Amino acid sequence: MIEFKDLSLVYPNGHQGLKDVNLKIEDGEFVVIVGLSGAGKSTFIRSINRLVTPTEGELHVDDDNILDYKGRGLRKLRTKVGMIFQSYNLVKRNNVIKNVLAGRLGHTGTIRSVFNLFSKDDKALAYESLKRVNIDEKLYNRADELSGGQQQRVSIARVLTQKPKYILADEPVASLDPPTSHQVMQYLRKINKEDGITTIVNLHFIDMAMEYADRIIGMRAGEVVFDGPVSEVTEETFEEIYGRSIREDDLRGGVEEDVEQNV
Amino acid sequence: MSQQLPPKKPRSTKQIIRNIAIAIAVIALYVWTFASINIDFGRVIERFTSNFDRVIPQLFSPNWERAPEVIEMMIETIFIAYVGSLAAAIIAVPLGFLAAFNMSNSRILATFGKWILSGVRAFPEIILAILFVVAVGPTPFAGILAIAIGSTGMLGKLYAEVLESIDMNVVEAMQANGANKIQIMFHGIIPQVIPEFLSYAIYRFEIDVRASTILGYVGAGGIGTMIFFAQSGRNWNDMGMILLVIIIVVTVIDYASTYIRKRIV
Repeated sequence: MIEFKDLSLVYPNGHQGLKDVNLKIEDGEFVVIVGLSGAGKSTFIRSINRLVTPTEGELHVDDDNILDYKGRGLRKLRTKVGMIFQSYNLVKRNNVIKNVLAGRLGHTGTIRSVFNLFSKDDKALAYESLKRVNIDEKLYNRADELSGGQQQRVSIARVLTQKPKYILADEPVASLDPPTSHQVMQYLRKINKEDGITTIVNLHFIDMAMEYADRIIGMRAGEVVFDGPVSEVTEETFEEIYGRSIREDDLRGGVEEDVEQNV
Repeated sequence: MSQQLPPKKPRSTKQIIRNIAIAIAVIALYVWTFASINIDFGRVIERFTSNFDRVIPQLFSPNWERAPEVIEMMIETIFIAYVGSLAAAIIAVPLGFLAAFNMSNSRILATFGKWILSGVRAFPEIILAILFVVAVGPTPFAGILAIAIGSTGMLGKLYAEVLESIDMNVVEAMQANGANKIQIMFHGIIPQVIPEFLSYAIYRFEIDVRASTILGYVGAGGIGTMIFFAQSGRNWNDMGMILLVIIIVVTVIDYASTYIRKRIV
């Protein structure tokens, strides 16, 4: 369970990233955060694994205030909270399996990892993760030989290998085309349902948010302006969140296909 | 239909005056330097013509009998360059990390690292060689130390630049999955920089082969010792043989290095 209590964040340049955020995310939820760019979506997500540090309030992950964490405690939190990025952030010169095994670093001793001595279980887990996102045949390809969608699937496999309790995804489909975007979102949802991993995704495409979320949180200027199940959300809700009428580029488009067909 | 030319680039009077001032200063500098070095062109031509037919033909008829000895010394020279640049390639790694802003995470430390590297780079190899000959005696070891220290300055700076240009998002991703600093270094940073580091180290070896050919001139081992004796004995046939070997070896190493570096990056 993640709980925000009066959480605010002011960046050193004076920009208010978060403003009095109060909410609770239950285990196993699939939450999509929507809002225009600069609305504080990234700041929200990055607070949860402390890539940014809120300046006021409390943020509880599993009943512990994570704002007190540093060093080892912080790393322990981060092994529990996996993250997926817009730009995949793979080591481009390393092959796929090495990139996926990097997800085990938080669980592996320093000396062992320096010499690449991952356990058999770790290797099996990495391969299993690759299979789950249907990219196991690219095992020994270098990451930069893959397309954007394939790279994002590798980064999902990396997160799976981490065995996290929570997954944060910061604009995971912003650099992808519509069909691949749907594919990536479907994998994220599938993992959420099968493994019960709480998933929090930043999106700015309205249609995708509606399609995949259980719950939508709308943000504007660092404040949570909407929070509710997807069934309560209408086009007016988005107009309220965005503070303007909905435009074509707020939609990703593309049809939903079955994941298993997109190998 | 008349053509319309683009309007002239606007230029202020201030700019024109500045440009003229720079031109005058540059010309003045040239005139001043030539006037003050006192070249006696008559004497230059006289000496050149008198020595020309004595030295040059001898350089072009190398003393083949000395070939085995020259080759042996050339091999020693390559060893000096190899050991020296290998040592530098390793010593430069921590210095490069220190001098890279995004690695040391502190402007002060990084600036300090850059100062060390600039300081080291300021010494020409031959000066370092003289210092080390005094310190450890006239052996190839002095040459190795001179090459190692001289190369560390350049390699450290280049390494730091490579490190500053890496994809820090990868580092962020590893932080986000709970990796510690050492794990991030080995799994996130080193894979990104190894090819460039290797390429620069090989390039530096190429430079070091050339640099170490003259180190023997001050007693630091290698083929430079033979150059010294050939020159002091006015033995231009020997000098010809030495030059021939140096030219061939340096050219071969240049080509090999270019080829290898192309394959790496």
